[in-house]
Amino acid sequence: MVERAEDEEKWLAAGIAGLQQNAFYMHRALDSNNLRDALKYSAQMLSELRTSRLSPHKYYELYMRAFDELRKLEMFFKEEARRGCSIIDLYELVQHAGNILPRLYLLCTVGSVYIKSKEAPAKDVLKDLVEMCRGIQHPVRGLFLRSYLSQVSRDKLPDIGSEYEGDADTVVDAVEFLLQNFTEMNKLWVRMQHQGPAREKEKREKERSELRDLVGKNLHVLGQLEGVDLDMYKETVLPRVLEQVVNCKDEIAQFYLMDCIIQVFPDEYHLQTLETLLGACPQLQPSVDIKTVLSQLMERLSNYAASSAEVLPEFLQVEAFSKLSNAIWKVIEAQVDMPIFGAVTLYSSLLTFTLHVHPDRLDYVDQVLGACVTKLSSAGKLEDSKSTKQIVALLSAPLEKYNDIVTVLKLSNYPRVMEYLDNRTNKVMAIVIIQSIMKNKTCIATAEKVEALFELIKGLIKDLDGDLHDELDDEDFKEEQNSVARLIQMLYSDDPDEMLQIICAVRKHFLTGGPQRLPYTIPPLVFSSLKLIRKLQGQDENVVGEEASASPKKIFQLLNQTIEALSVVPASELALRLYLQCAEAANDCDLEPVAYEFFTQAYILYEEEIADSKAQVTALHLIVGTLQRMHVFGVENRDTLTHKATGYSAKLLKKPDQCRAVYACSHLFWVDDQDSIRDGERVLLCLKRALRIANAAQQMANVTRGSSGSATLFVEILNKYLYFFEKGNPQITIAAIQSLIELITTEIQSDTMSQDPAADAFFASTLRYIQFQKQKGGALAEKYESIKV
Amino acid sequence: MASRRRMLLKVIILGDSGVGKTSLMNQYVNRKFSNQYKATIGADFLTKEVQFEDRLFTLQIWDTAGQERFQSLGVAFYRGADCCVLVYDVNVMKSFDNLNNWREEFLIQASPSDPENFPFVVLGNKIDVDGGNSRVVSEKKAKAWCASKGNIPYFETSAKEGFNVEAAFQCIAKNALKNEPEEEIYLPDTIDVAGGGRQQRSSGCEC
Repeated sequence: MVERAEDEEKWLAAGIAGLQQNAFYMHRALDSNNLRDALKYSAQMLSELRTSRLSPHKYYELYMRAFDELRKLEMFFKEEARRGCSIIDLYELVQHAGNILPRLYLLCTVGSVYIKSKEAPAKDVLKDLVEMCRGIQHPVRGLFLRSYLSQVSRDKLPDIGSEYEGDADTVVDAVEFLLQNFTEMNKLWVRMQHQGPAREKEKREKERSELRDLVGKNLHVLGQLEGVDLDMYKETVLPRVLEQVVNCKDEIAQFYLMDCIIQVFPDEYHLQTLETLLGACPQLQPSVDIKTVLSQLMERLSNYAASSAEVLPEFLQVEAFSKLSNAIWKVIEAQVDMPIFGAVTLYSSLLTFTLHVHPDRLDYVDQVLGACVTKLSSAGKLEDSKSTKQIVALLSAPLEKYNDIVTVLKLSNYPRVMEYLDNRTNKVMAIVIIQSIMKNKTCIATAEKVEALFELIKGLIKDLDGDLHDELDDEDFKEEQNSVARLIQMLYSDDPDEMLQIICAVRKHFLTGGPQRLPYTIPPLVFSSLKLIRKLQGQDENVVGEEASASPKKIFQLLNQTIEALSVVPASELALRLYLQCAEAANDCDLEPVAYEFFTQAYILYEEEIADSKAQVTALHLIVGTLQRMHVFGVENRDTLTHKATGYSAKLLKKPDQCRAVYACSHLFWVDDQDSIRDGERVLLCLKRALRIANAAQQMANVTRGSSGSATLFVEILNKYLYFFEKGNPQITIAAIQSLIELITTEIQSDTMSQDPAADAFFASTLRYIQFQKQKGGALAEKYESIKV
Repeated sequence: MASRRRMLLKVIILGDSGVGKTSLMNQYVNRKFSNQYKATIGADFLTKEVQFEDRLFTLQIWDTAGQERFQSLGVAFYRGADCCVLVYDVNVMKSFDNLNNWREEFLIQASPSDPENFPFVVLGNKIDVDGGNSRVVSEKKAKAWCASKGNIPYFETSAKEGFNVEAAFQCIAKNALKNEPEEEIYLPDTIDVAGGGRQQRSSGCEC
């Protein structure tokens, strides 16, 4: 191959050299107005094009150089004609060139000037030239010669409105000329396939492919003729072109020329001749890639439909949808061996077309999907990635068009198509669906639709058959489940009963998700339920006799069971938080037993499941914080829960944690907005106990580290003293505060070993606060008056 | 002889599919416009006589296929171009982004002797569409790009309404004319008195 390429370069260089040399003499002859020499050297120059050694690409380079030189000759001919030289004589004269190829190039060149001179009807000259060119039967040379003819006559065709149109010349002649040239060129091109040894088939096909635009260009020129109106296209141009395409029985030519027809003629012509064009498809060779041809046609028509609403009636008028879907059906039927990818591509194009042209016809859309299911059902689950990608495109199209999953949920065949995706792609598609919902903020407002939606996204909701977990990266899994979680807020109805139905439906699906998914899916479900409870709680809920209707009690029961499901994970810390959230909601609904039950659940988890010290600290503060806000409990229940919480506090592992939990518990006995909970004594007990623990912590630090440790805990406790002091707890005395301040001062001064600037700063700002309160004036200032700092 | 060649100015129009290359050429040469989209296959040219500084020139305007699959023979026709017109659709960002590719591709393939100073002209077409409301490439942005590429002249055109087309091609012709011809000067080694030329190397049939 390399050798061949090098040789080719040499031959091209030699050809160019020969061409330049003769061009040089031609120029000299032109400059001295020597017609005879000009013809002689131009013919010699053109002889270089007689080579058979160049590939089409290289030949084209040589041809372009000759082409440029011939423009100069053409100008000379024009000048000659202007000077009075008879163009008819010139036309005769060039025919004396010895070799036929140069002769015909010269003839075409003079012919162009001849037409321009209008000394003869254009059609006669054109007809003569196109006939004469038959003299070259070598494919490459013939194709380039005819392409030359087509190019030089390009602006001299008797088109409508052209200066060459006349009584004798009409656009019919122009069309006839182009069709004839096209037909001859196609024959030359097809014949190439059957010349030379079979082993060079590949090379030959490559060369043919390079040459194809020479043939196609005739169609381009036809498309550009103004006189080719719909009637002429329908009656003459299309049938004649298709006749040639079908009859040449050549795969390469058929595929390429069908593409050309679709691309060079306007959309409205295609619409009006759909039947003819589509009718040709089954007549093509079975090996022709019809799916690409049809897809390109549908893509063009889709773009046309999208360009303006005004053109849509045209589509309806010609029943484009049924014609196209029929054609596709026939093609798929006829080509049994067509790979799934091909069929899916066709349906995908048809679907895009349908969405553009008939956005209101959901039945058409469903019909296309249904046809796709039928085809897929013969193949089983898809394995190859090309088909899968195409299916994703097919399924994404309606989402993009309608921007509304609710519309898509009406398509009964949509989930059926999804069935054929492999698990991974099924998930990809599910994510696409969720993203569409989120982007468009589509609210899914009935349980029925929620069910349909979950059918579509079930790949994310539970393990599908044959799912392998290790296949999925942790990050990806997280992202997937997070998107499911985000989706929940879009499942919403204003009607409480319907909303409860939705919650039940979601719950049913989520509970099948298994331990890995539940920690992601349960929380949004719980909060969605709590949202409904909050909504109901404002309303007059006791509508008698409506057992089925949504009531907070009922939802709380459901919540209890829902959170319990987390025990299989296990996810105790998460469950504890959720129980506490529910307890708060129950509190707001004045449901004491329910709230108590949730607390009980939380406590059980704390006692039995949460063993980690850090987790215990966090959980305990959550418990205390929640409990503090509860107002629904009677004395007995409250005492039980408070007692437990303080008990837990004292049993924490680390002393500082103990200390902090214990002083936090002081708040359980003094709630600002509840007169019944103001037990100053027990507040003081907590704080004293916290002090004792702080002391113990300090001593431990002394023993183990040789330093007395930080005074932070004492400063924290001092702040608690101040808080309750301000709130008017009579048990908190100035003396106690005073002695605590002194204690801390001593601590900080004595503790030179372990400087804790944070503790110092904390203490300093606490003292500043006291100062500030003293100076501020009013009742508080009076209280603070006697504290000395 | 240089003067003969200088009567012909070769112009190549490049740009993405559907930006209106063929329409611009048709509007300029034939004063016609069609709304229908028809792809161009290969390369096609029209000529137009232009008067410039009291001299008559023939402008050879090459319209090209924007779709790569209709450019099967390559771009040998770039050779000898005097000016290259880069067209984009002001309503399609991608067509503007691709101008750079078209320009570079042209410089590589046509390999003019002085690529820095080779004359280009940029046309932002279809400014009529939707009263300019669907426009996505601003005049400022286009001009900035042109300035960055050595002050390429820039025109906003509408092939549909014929707006600015004449002015753009005037400029194209003017710049094409300024381009120094780079036809290699051919000097034959020997004067061939016999005039028979060299031996024909052709094989195969005698056509």
